Amino acid sequence: MGNQEAPNPKEPPALWELAALFAFIGVTSFGGGLTAYIRRLVVSQKRWLTDEEFLPGLGLVQLLPGANVVGLSVYIGNHLRGPIGSIVALTSMITPPFILVCCLGFLYFHAGTTTDTKALLAGVTAAACGLMASMVFEAGQKAIKGIFDVFLILLTFALVRVAHLHVPYVIMIVAPIAIWWHRPRTGKQKVESTGAEQ
Amino acid sequence: MIRTFLQLAGLFSALSLSAFGGGKVVLPSMHQAAVSEYAWMTDQQFVDLFSISMAAPGPSMMVVSLVGLKACLSYGFWFAILGAFIATVAMFVPSSILVFIAGKWWDSWEESPWRRSIQQAILPISTGLILAATWIIAKTSIHSIPTVIMAAVALALMLFTKINPVLMMGVAGAISWFFLR
Repeated sequence: MGNQEAPNPKEPPALWELAALFAFIGVTSFGGGLTAYIRRLVVSQKRWLTDEEFLPGLGLVQLLPGANVVGLSVYIGNHLRGPIGSIVALTSMITPPFILVCCLGFLYFHAGTTTDTKALLAGVTAAACGLMASMVFEAGQKAIKGIFDVFLILLTFALVRVAHLHVPYVIMIVAPIAIWWHRPRTGKQKVESTGAEQ
Repeated sequence: MIRTFLQLAGLFSALSLSAFGGGKVVLPSMHQAAVSEYAWMTDQQFVDLFSISMAAPGPSMMVVSLVGLKACLSYGFWFAILGAFIATVAMFVPSSILVFIAGKWWDSWEESPWRRSIQQAILPISTGLILAATWIIAKTSIHSIPTVIMAAVALALMLFTKINPVLMMGVAGAISWFFLR
């Protein structure tokens, strides 16, 4: 695998190297900018993949459901070492944070609601709220290309908060409308074979 | 008990395949199921667990493990861990299998104009869902002047600086503990 590719003539990394890197990503990763972080580690530092190999994977995981970082671990693992590589990358990335949050969870339920934990969590939840709000701004900036996008955002919000529909159903309702609106088109006609921008 | 395991597996595998734009877009469903439909926890506990998972390092959706843990907590320690494990596997595995399978056809599909269309179409939906998630968190976490100020400062820091969110949440917790206890 990868032997004839000129820019990347090395042997693929051993499974333990893959596990070590993704465990590292797992415990150091957080929130936005993560894909850039993974790219720096895997493409620039380790040189396991070239940009030509990495970027299609990024495009793929951005389109599919699931966290980008999780999808990338599967894609990179598979690219380097096949299905086993995927499994190793995914499990080594998820396991350390899993153990950590379980410990925190037991601590939370064991400690109960004392004045101390209440005061501490008031700050943490308020900060989490600010963090989520910042994600609304970041996502909105990319999403809003016209007034119809604002309508789609509000429609989605209303279906969840007012109609209390579950997310899968909301997507089934809104996605066809949104895809129809953003369909590929040239001028006023729908032409499927050209790659023209709307 | 078995029923709880099946509920966790069913809920999170369905959400796994719906998480277009990342795990946080399915938070409203998770909240609705965990608090209203299955009554695994209170509103306050859900928001606390979500915030704990955000404050801890790791992929942002580790709240899934905590929901599984709480759902099975009354059955004992080991069952709580098993519940957390089932929820986590159900959340991460189906979407990963999809990446794995779709990767095989991706090359032939990458150049299609429909790819851009779908990518742009997903964005307003995920924005609306994250807005709904933020609403849920805000409803419970914002209840006094100090919490309003902290949330506003956190928002400003995230938008205008490159501060590490884990660090920011730790500092917010410490400040709040110092002044509000």
